[in-house]
Amino acid sequence: MNLTALHAKVLPSLLGGTSRHPLPGDLIRPSSPNSDGALEMLTLMGQALRFERPPTPESFIVEPEIKDERKIIADGLRRPLIRLLTAKTATEHPGRALARAFDQLRLRPHPFDLPLIDAFIRSNAEKLGPTAQHWADRQKPEAETRSYFDPELLDESSWMQAPLSRRVAYLEERRRDDADAARALLESTWAQEEADARFRLLQVFQTRLSISDQPFLNRLEKDRAQRVRALAARFLARLGAGIENPALGACLERIKHSQSGLLRKRTTLQMELPANVKDQAASRWILETFAELSFGELAGAFKVTEKELIAAAAKDEPLLLALALIATNEGRLDLLELVVAGLPNAWERMFEAGLDTLGTMTESERQRWEEIVVHPYRKDVPTTYSLWDWLYRITDAEAPSSVMSIALHAKLLTKVPEHERGSAPWVEMFAATCPASQRQELREQLTKFDQSQTVIPFALLEILDGMENDRTHV
Amino acid sequence: MALTFERIEALAPDQSSLAAARKLLKPSYWPTLAEGEGLAWGECQGSGATPYRVVINEADTGYKCTCPSRKFPCKHALALMWMRADRSAAFAAATVPDWVKDWLSRRRGTSNSASKTDDEAKPKTRPSIRFTEIPEAEADADPKAEQRAAAIRERNRLEREAAVLAGLEDLDTWLSDQVQHGLANFVAQTAQVCRTIAQRLVDAKAPGLAGRLDALPTRLFTLSGPVRPSAAIRELGQVHLISQAYRRTSELPELLAADARQAVGWSVTREALLNDSQAIRVNAKWRVFAVLSEAQPDRLRRVETWLWRQSAADGMPQCAVLIDFVPISTGAAMGGYLVGDQIEAELSFYRSTIPLRAQINALKRGAEQSSEPLTLPNESLDASYAKYEHALAQLPWLGTIPLSFRAASVRRNGEQLYLYDDESGLSLPMHTSQANHASPLATLDRIDGIGLWNGYEFTLAWAETQLGRWMRS
Repeated sequence: MNLTALHAKVLPSLLGGTSRHPLPGDLIRPSSPNSDGALEMLTLMGQALRFERPPTPESFIVEPEIKDERKIIADGLRRPLIRLLTAKTATEHPGRALARAFDQLRLRPHPFDLPLIDAFIRSNAEKLGPTAQHWADRQKPEAETRSYFDPELLDESSWMQAPLSRRVAYLEERRRDDADAARALLESTWAQEEADARFRLLQVFQTRLSISDQPFLNRLEKDRAQRVRALAARFLARLGAGIENPALGACLERIKHSQSGLLRKRTTLQMELPANVKDQAASRWILETFAELSFGELAGAFKVTEKELIAAAAKDEPLLLALALIATNEGRLDLLELVVAGLPNAWERMFEAGLDTLGTMTESERQRWEEIVVHPYRKDVPTTYSLWDWLYRITDAEAPSSVMSIALHAKLLTKVPEHERGSAPWVEMFAATCPASQRQELREQLTKFDQSQTVIPFALLEILDGMENDRTHV
Repeated sequence: MALTFERIEALAPDQSSLAAARKLLKPSYWPTLAEGEGLAWGECQGSGATPYRVVINEADTGYKCTCPSRKFPCKHALALMWMRADRSAAFAAATVPDWVKDWLSRRRGTSNSASKTDDEAKPKTRPSIRFTEIPEAEADADPKAEQRAAAIRERNRLEREAAVLAGLEDLDTWLSDQVQHGLANFVAQTAQVCRTIAQRLVDAKAPGLAGRLDALPTRLFTLSGPVRPSAAIRELGQVHLISQAYRRTSELPELLAADARQAVGWSVTREALLNDSQAIRVNAKWRVFAVLSEAQPDRLRRVETWLWRQSAADGMPQCAVLIDFVPISTGAAMGGYLVGDQIEAELSFYRSTIPLRAQINALKRGAEQSSEPLTLPNESLDASYAKYEHALAQLPWLGTIPLSFRAASVRRNGEQLYLYDDESGLSLPMHTSQANHASPLATLDRIDGIGLWNGYEFTLAWAETQLGRWMRS
């Protein structure tokens, strides 16, 4: 009896049951007179199946070719990295710091480690290189995936393929170099963009906004998305070429304009909060009301220069907060510095207001923004964790040296309130944001804490040092 | 063996134990920390008045703690290991105290054997019913007692043989019932029917067959629906084959007869194996290439440590597996070795047509992590599979077996990964649990490696690739 006969004659009987499909009687000699041969057939069939080689699928999936020119992280750092990223950390700061380091140093995780640090990859894919992005997208339908390549290699022909945040950053950079070319690039792809992408890409126009942008902005008055139309209208208003920003009227209603001084009349501005806005909600109301405004519009409304506007608001804290938020929104750090001179607690006030983005600021601008808001606290460093946590969430950057110096020299970690002292979030946060040049000083302060609380911070510092050294040896 | 975080992580029964150990790293919890003779010990102040006494052996990560925790290792032992690994605390050099000596004297022994002579390195025998050593003088003193004991042993053996044979008769009846009802139908109610016959076989003192049938439902349900009925035929066919072979051991070659008896459930104790002069012994360097852990229905965890022979020993087994059973309740998920460890040891193999299972007879050099590649033979997946088929012909109920390969590739079809041999077109479906972890390998061209084939799925354990080494986590 051959294999074909076994399959044809025996297998159906065994599967369906010999009571209904009796086995052919002449196929095998029973092992004993009492046997009907069924169990021998079972054994023979079973062994025959065991010798069958597994079937080969008709086709295999062709894996996409990913051009990833980033260097793979050093072997010696892989295990510590996996250990850290799979450990229970108190905050997200270690993961964010590592993602930043991967991005800045143009390193990438080892492909074999991607499944082991899957959550980290999915949260930070855009900073980890094309291979990681492909991994993060692997569950998505094919239609939603795209080509994977290194964002640093973006050019005008490929920028459409990159993730939105990278495209925004690329357009921002182009806008700084050549505003007209950047606009032309956006115009060429505008019709294919979705509403969210159109809005975010258009935000870039606040960098080097000029009258030559007007024709393009005029066309956007008929855009399908209301927020795109509103943003275009704001830009046009800023250029003095469109209708007045509707938010401006509402804001002006709340600002009391007066003249003061005996010999030389000076403009004085004062904000009057609506009666139904309680003190604790004032900052948030200011953010919501003034978010749509530009410095130029407000100064123009009072027929003063931008600097004169700040001077006019010097004695009114709510109005200074509004100006700080507008300066932040526009990336006008020169003006923010002037505002903060009169509003030394701008950091706390902006935190209360619920500011959640620094817009399209570059990393160096975000660090400069941090310096501006933190420096007034040099002599009295705040010890509220949520304040520092917000600062590093919103800047998503390494702390500037001057800010870290303030924290280290003030021995902030030893001064935090008793219930927060030495708690893991503090030490993790400072380890994650400490610049390389100050890590030794931070380590010395960390040694004073229980080792149980510094395992994660020390491991993080070791890995960051290792990544930087690895990169410098390329 | 150097203590590393990897080893400590692997030893920890769960993440919470590690977290708890981390809290004990503060030196103030440890009024005593000392070291000497390859051991480190300390006293950890717990919630009680008396500190817990903890000792670890760095050579083999052995440990002991006086705390009442049911986790092994407990947080105190883990914390002590941790402090040794990162050298964060000062351990005073000291003579080994009595309580540590006492623990050492009661250990089973491969621990400090790397520094011992061969004779000393031999594991101490544990008392067992069959092999309890009776001093000669004592035996001489009472030969009648020895005869009586031998007679009792023989009577017990015969009673068990009879019980097993009776159980096999019931098994035949049960198998005939399943065949009559149809194996497509069997799959739908496998858990219930297998449990019944497994219990009967336990009563019949055939625990090997009982375990095989008890585990059958789980095994079937790990496979895709369409292949389950044919898998049931394969599995029940093997069960019948074993039962037939057991009844005819006198007609079988000696080694196959030993395989049949082991498959039914006649176990060979460690002491018996180590005292068996006929057992194959291989003295070589061995590399751990896989550690598998599986919870069994009997609330024991079966831990398999797969070893690959790295040094030459012509004609001797190339692979070995050390099998340990630990209670699931302890939380321990692995033995003392990590994948990548290299040891130098003499292994004794259990008698078998295809010798694989072994015990460490003498450990010459403790485990050390090594970056050396595995010395894989220069043969394709197809050639390796042909060896498997040959082995299957020799031992028809052959279980999991290692397959090494050169220049194969990992391919994907939907979510399923395959290990594919370009030359022959042979493709082995990879274990479904590896669909995620091994998927980065699908982007590579050719890989060399080794894995475990159970007749249905291939578990890739180790691969050398152009991106470096990949190991099953």
